[in-house]
Amino acid sequence: MANLIAKQSVGNRPKNLDLTTIRLPINALVSIFHRLSGVVLFLMLPVMLWALQTSVRDEAHYEYLVGFTEIWWVKLLLVALFVPFFHHFYAGLRHLGQDVHWMTTLQKARFSGRVVLWLDAISVLLFGIAIW
Amino acid sequence: MLVDLLTRRYPGMRLWLTQRLTALVMAGYIVLLLLLLLVRQPDGYAGWHAFVSPWWLRLATLLVFVCLVMHAWLGIRDVMRDYVRNIVLRGYLQLLMEIMLAIYLIWLAVILWNI
Repeated sequence: MANLIAKQSVGNRPKNLDLTTIRLPINALVSIFHRLSGVVLFLMLPVMLWALQTSVRDEAHYEYLVGFTEIWWVKLLLVALFVPFFHHFYAGLRHLGQDVHWMTTLQKARFSGRVVLWLDAISVLLFGIAIW
Repeated sequence: MLVDLLTRRYPGMRLWLTQRLTALVMAGYIVLLLLLLLVRQPDGYAGWHAFVSPWWLRLATLLVFVCLVMHAWLGIRDVMRDYVRNIVLRGYLQLLMEIMLAIYLIWLAVILWNI
């Protein structure tokens, strides 16, 4: 009987998989973006190593790299790449705080999630201004 | 108790702690490096080369990258365990990821050695 009710309620449960109307709660958003940014940072490792190698090789390579970063779309790309960096940094610190039971109630976690997103935005903006 | 928790009974706890400790090491390195950059303000190739030349900075960079390798290994492994449902495919992807991380570590060591 209980099984039958469970089966029925599963079938009748309202379902919404419309991605344009689904809104993730802020904690889920910060969390999934932490994962995503981690993967992006991993994929960007060869680019970072290449940049470091080019910058220290000799003066010509250094100037080439500096010239490369003067191009407007490279700058834009650089700013875009620092979005996952800043987010992974701040959201990671937030997770570390939660691991030691700091701000773990729903209300406080929502607040710290908003703080992380604001820090992301401010940092990216400052970085963009700094390199332009 | 902590030793018991981290070694004998729950080996997963060691990985969990590794993920957090390596995160702290990297965060500390990033903040210190940023402060050093702001203080020194290296200019041009000569300035940049002098900035990255000290042996202790190169050594610290290599050690932090070892932390990064461990951190990335755990993170990518966890993400793949959640999203790559095919075990055989996941095994190959994990091997690929491990080879990439090993190459990056050697690559960085070569870069730092040649500065």
